[in-house]
Amino acid sequence: MTFLSDVWYVAWRELVKFFRAKVRVVVTLIQPLLWLGLMGNVLEGFTKSPYVQQMLGTSSYLSFMTPGIILMTVLFGGVFSGLSIVWDRRIGYLEKLMAVPISRGAIPLGKMLAAAIQGGIQVLVIILIATAFGVRFAAGPLGVLLILLVAMFFSSILSGFSLALAVRVKTQETLMAVVNFLTMPLMFTSNALFPREAMPGWLAAIAKVNPVTHAVAPIRELTLRGWDWGAMYPGIAVTVGLALAIGIWAQWTFRRATAE
Amino acid sequence: MNNAIEVENLIKVYKNGVRAVDGVSFSVHEREIFGFLGPNGAGKSTTIKCVIGLLRPTSGTIRVLGADTGQDPGVVKRNIGYAAQETAVDDRLTGWENLYLQGRFYHLPRAEIRRRGEEVLKLFGLWERRNDVAGTYSGGMLKRLDIACALIHRPRILFLDEPTLGLDVQTRKTIWEYIEMLRGEHGMTIFLTTHYMEEADALSDRVAIIDRGKIVALDRPGALKAGIGWDLITVRFSTDGGELGGLLSALLALPEVREVRETEDGIYRIAVERNGDRLIPRIVRLAEARGIGIHSIRLKRPTLNDVYLHYTGREIREAEGSREELIRSRVMARRIRR
Repeated sequence: MTFLSDVWYVAWRELVKFFRAKVRVVVTLIQPLLWLGLMGNVLEGFTKSPYVQQMLGTSSYLSFMTPGIILMTVLFGGVFSGLSIVWDRRIGYLEKLMAVPISRGAIPLGKMLAAAIQGGIQVLVIILIATAFGVRFAAGPLGVLLILLVAMFFSSILSGFSLALAVRVKTQETLMAVVNFLTMPLMFTSNALFPREAMPGWLAAIAKVNPVTHAVAPIRELTLRGWDWGAMYPGIAVTVGLALAIGIWAQWTFRRATAE
Repeated sequence: MNNAIEVENLIKVYKNGVRAVDGVSFSVHEREIFGFLGPNGAGKSTTIKCVIGLLRPTSGTIRVLGADTGQDPGVVKRNIGYAAQETAVDDRLTGWENLYLQGRFYHLPRAEIRRRGEEVLKLFGLWERRNDVAGTYSGGMLKRLDIACALIHRPRILFLDEPTLGLDVQTRKTIWEYIEMLRGEHGMTIFLTTHYMEEADALSDRVAIIDRGKIVALDRPGALKAGIGWDLITVRFSTDGGELGGLLSALLALPEVREVRETEDGIYRIAVERNGDRLIPRIVRLAEARGIGIHSIRLKRPTLNDVYLHYTGREIREAEGSREELIRSRVMARRIRR
């Protein structure tokens, strides 16, 4: 019980600061608005072709793209988690966390939870924006809830990854360089924004193993078609499994890195 | 008297081979203010971090309130408070949120945090500003908040690593008052590191001087000072009669007096082995008996700085201290700007 409380209060600290930074909250909302409003509507023209419709599995590019934008937003949001560790170490707060009687593993888990909740809030807003643009989620309100959960797990994967890196990296600049180096390719070698069928063979092969592709699958299923557990199950299993594995890895790096 | 902290043969060698602490032994009594004095890099912070379990000692035993830091880190952590050299306050949380979070990390119930939080914030004069974001606080307020956080769970021992580093003189004095109050009214044991001589001198019941990872001296500040040098009494006589020679021989005949030297017109420096303060009335009486007037009389005792110089063969490296302060103040300024 105290472990869960420790995790929650590590997360609480991040969340209080998240809601206090009003500019940051607004900016995180503007970005998906631009993606959906500009790119989504521009590419909408392509879907007049029946061949494109067949590849997308829908007659609306916006509907196809919304799951991708959801994951892109939590992807770019989650990787910022590690920055807070670098900053905490810089101001001595990390040491303070080591000196209080909390479990050290609660530190990365709490930050992952905070990233997941922040991601969930952003996803909720994207869903509202998408709805305003005319996207209809086939699986209904419960489906939206599941979309939210998958996105939150995905957010915690990225968060955990950047936290584990941050333990080794000493400056924010290095961390951002490494993280940016990974996030862009991760995004564009997946089928988040473009269907795999439209990719050249080698790219499609990469996309097939890309975790973003796996996380997109159930979300896209729920958005475009509705409830089909058979189609959603592998993607959900990979996403949740990866989140758990990264959670354990991040805890391990924290316990080890702080044992000197 | 019980010992709050017992350290035996503590050695800490960092991974990079630096031998930061090299066989340190000492004990801290309960309700004592124990000062750890030494220049930057002498091993003060490393010792503190080993004692409270932030660093694993290479060898040696550490007992805090009877518990072994290595074996029962939880017991030790629950019973101590620690305010690091870096003011570890989250400047984007309010003062109250910082304190509340700290209470939660010690698993205190909400009501207890409210009660205790109000108490410490009022004690440290931060109650009125509790709902302001800590980024708007002054350096002194941040440090006070940091110490307040370390007190939320009523620790029995408080560890303060360079509590006044980078603070102005006024704020430094205020922090000293708080430290003395904590020991006086709350019966707390306080372990304090500093590289300010006057701080160790003013606050500590006992001082350990640490240099290059070793304790070179450990005693009450007064005893340390008495152990190394003579008190110097400077007297300025207002009359310059023939009796002066007689007075000077009488002074030299006193057992404590080592040397009498004339420096300027009518100014004499009398070197006294110890207790120069007690000699002053006798000097006055001897002078009066000979009809010699005294214009002024002054006593200078050796400072801990002299003690430090004596034991380490060099002055405390203030230059390094100020460079560190400069960097710190820059970091602070940056944090405030954000």
